[in-house]
Amino acid sequence: MMTFRQKLFLVGIAAVTALLTLAPLSGWCDETSMPPDMMPKIFGQEDFIYVWTLGEEGLGDGQDKLVTVDVNPKSPKYGTVVYSVSVGGRNEAHHAGFTHDRHYIWAAGLDTSKIFIFDIRTDPARPRLVGAITDFVAKSGGVVGPHTVMPVGDRMIITGLSNNRDHGGRTGLVEYTADGKYVATYWMPTDDDLQDAVKTGKYADGYGYDVRMLQRLDFMITSSFAGWSNYMMDFGKLLKDEEAMKRFGNTVVVWRMSDRKPLKIFDVPGSPLEIRCALKPEHDYCFTATALTSKFWLVYRDKTGAWQAREVSAIGDPAKVPLPVAFSISSDDKLIWVTTFADGKVRAFNVSDPFHPVQVYEKQIGSQVNMVSSSWDGKRIYFTSSLLSKWDKKGKDNEQFIKGYTWDGKELKERFAIDFTREKLGRPHEMKFGAYSLYKK
Amino acid sequence: MAPVQGKGKKTGRVRFVPCLLVSTLGIGVCAAGLPAVPDAVHGPGDVKTGYESADYETRSVSLQSRKGLPADLMRLLKSPPRGLPAVPVPRDNPVTGPKIQLGRKLYYDRRLSFNETMSCAMCHIPEQGFTNNELKTAVGIEGRTVRRNAPTIYNVAYFSNLFHDGRETRLEHQVWQPMLAPNEMANPSIGYVIEKLGRLPDYKGLFEAAFDGRGPGIETVGMAIASYERTIISGNSPFDRWRFGGDEKAIGEAAKRGFRLFTGKANCVVCHTADDRQALLTDDAFHNTGLGWEDSVGGGPAEYPVQLAPGVVVRVPSATVESFGEPPPSDLGRYEVTQNPADRWRYKTPSLRNVALTSPYMHNGVFGSLRDVVEFYNKGGIPNPLLDPEIRPLGLTRGEMGDIVSFLESLTGDNIETLVRDAFAAPVGDRH
Repeated sequence: MMTFRQKLFLVGIAAVTALLTLAPLSGWCDETSMPPDMMPKIFGQEDFIYVWTLGEEGLGDGQDKLVTVDVNPKSPKYGTVVYSVSVGGRNEAHHAGFTHDRHYIWAAGLDTSKIFIFDIRTDPARPRLVGAITDFVAKSGGVVGPHTVMPVGDRMIITGLSNNRDHGGRTGLVEYTADGKYVATYWMPTDDDLQDAVKTGKYADGYGYDVRMLQRLDFMITSSFAGWSNYMMDFGKLLKDEEAMKRFGNTVVVWRMSDRKPLKIFDVPGSPLEIRCALKPEHDYCFTATALTSKFWLVYRDKTGAWQAREVSAIGDPAKVPLPVAFSISSDDKLIWVTTFADGKVRAFNVSDPFHPVQVYEKQIGSQVNMVSSSWDGKRIYFTSSLLSKWDKKGKDNEQFIKGYTWDGKELKERFAIDFTREKLGRPHEMKFGAYSLYKK
Repeated sequence: MAPVQGKGKKTGRVRFVPCLLVSTLGIGVCAAGLPAVPDAVHGPGDVKTGYESADYETRSVSLQSRKGLPADLMRLLKSPPRGLPAVPVPRDNPVTGPKIQLGRKLYYDRRLSFNETMSCAMCHIPEQGFTNNELKTAVGIEGRTVRRNAPTIYNVAYFSNLFHDGRETRLEHQVWQPMLAPNEMANPSIGYVIEKLGRLPDYKGLFEAAFDGRGPGIETVGMAIASYERTIISGNSPFDRWRFGGDEKAIGEAAKRGFRLFTGKANCVVCHTADDRQALLTDDAFHNTGLGWEDSVGGGPAEYPVQLAPGVVVRVPSATVESFGEPPPSDLGRYEVTQNPADRWRYKTPSLRNVALTSPYMHNGVFGSLRDVVEFYNKGGIPNPLLDPEIRPLGLTRGEMGDIVSFLESLTGDNIETLVRDAFAAPVGDRH
């Protein structure tokens, strides 16, 4: 009987063969929330959205699950849940990523540090749980809270949020092979061990969160959030805890991608979370948004070729702490959709001039909103509601949904909404797109 | 104090100079036995001192600098440091080397919680005073709210009232409560834990070697962890060397004045007891300071200051904060054990040994500094119908309060590094 790794390897060989055939048709870019030139992308209509969903105690089976939502308007099941796979336990489902061939989704749990691997190629409508990495903490030497899963060729770069010594924010990046074998851990630079990186300002906190790459520039960038104690804590309790509120990240680190070497540490105060890099090859910059201080920051190459970081815009009224938690950049690098959890709104910013974003649109999505994902053509925008199990609002404001909208350049129009509480599914978080077209020969 | 950096450049490896070297060079002195610059042993390596200010600079210490060095804990147990009495050891659980080693392994094993994320040490962190300096009140499995501040393990061997409400009286029994509490480690049953330990290959033979052939069981698990905890004793502080060793230079004049106030005008000693030969600095009894009463019956503030980044604070209306949180759990203190109405909001007097290492303070972690605590008592606590009669306005001047803080800072034991490095030497148990 073949082991999981052997099966993955065989499937991987077949996948690479298929992928080489597909490449001219599908290109090498993912949808807009993903970096370019790293995997096949869906140029046209997506068929499914895979929603990595947190189990909620007392609701349905209470387990984390990958939920398939049919999002093709031509389908009779459009706007409905067509499948779900429960993984066992509540792991604080959060982010997920594809392997480079887009045959598998690696879906991570911030609490248990387990990573669940789903085959989405065999039947895109019905993902199959084919394995799990359950020894991530031990293998990595103590990294806790796998977050972003980003393919780099046949390797997977996984950001951590915490550690197994104090459940604080000091953490590292972890590298695996695409078939699930641990490779290395890269600890975030700290003051006593900057690893030859330049501390450009006052901070080198050693925290982590998101990661993105611009392969053509041998460039990698990470952001910083908080450790397990903070992201797992009841949010109301956290806001009252002065000590805990000191333990958020204030840094962005620029790395040399080829050898995972930290080069520069920038001060970006107020917990920079998501990172989105420009998709056009002539654009050498990435955005990040600070959750607590509600600002867009731009990390860019200056005229000398050196990387710099600059605050470029407020998001909403920072004094009201709207909590920007996710954003998506359009494939032409001209528009950003940013969601703010506290007020439940989405705002669109014109970023044609990346140094001067201008808000051009605003809409209420729900009592709370978290992730936003855009189709490549920018015509369809999707939202989910859950931020973290203990940070979501309580009572009637605890709406849990996925909503699909169309965008005509002037107005967002709701096309479907699924109530994940009524469906007894849980708290929907990360969205990944799926399509039959990816696997046609 | 900024770290000492190599070659004057803000790049490369930054080298922190340990306290002893700094002192020897005459560059600085070590208050309260603490290092002049951050290290992995004395406090969170994620240093946030001064974070309130826009001038804050990180002084972070890497996790890899947590270097372990096993200590002879049995010798420590048999010869307690100056200022401490003999360690009480129950007749039915004599401490042995194999028990200590097994207990230490269990203490740091995250697999002892239901979803394998929490060990004893995740709330009682060695370099953070065997408590958690980063949280007011603890966070349990799946982020569940724990009502109270994690008490330190230092010198726990001497106490017969355990937990803030004294609901357990023996360490052997106490260790099971967090393992079974649904909001801490959440194991479904005692048998579940025992059978799991029986299956883990790295425990093979360890219980049998420590307990004359007995395997994991309800008694042996408790006895092993209790044996390790009994060795976490720390004394021979600067205060001890002055008070009980006659070394006049061991502490400064401010600390000496502070001790006189402590035992005189401020009368702290009425609860934080000391005699002429030793000082546990606790009466191991329960008192109402008003803090519990205020949490239960008080109105709460109209808004909360919320820090968003260094030097950036906003005031958030209470209603907004409450909308994000669960209702605060009820906490009636000692009453929950005795059902005696007179015991409402009484909590155990903590020892003051190593108190400089164990912030934040009080059963609810409400105070971030020793100065805050002294000021609270100087005001006479919080008036309420059950306020302890010993708590009253003290009329201390600012200088006198500073002297008391100096005294409290002189209570840090001289073997902290030994105990913490020994803890670092223990394997952190994760699924592998």
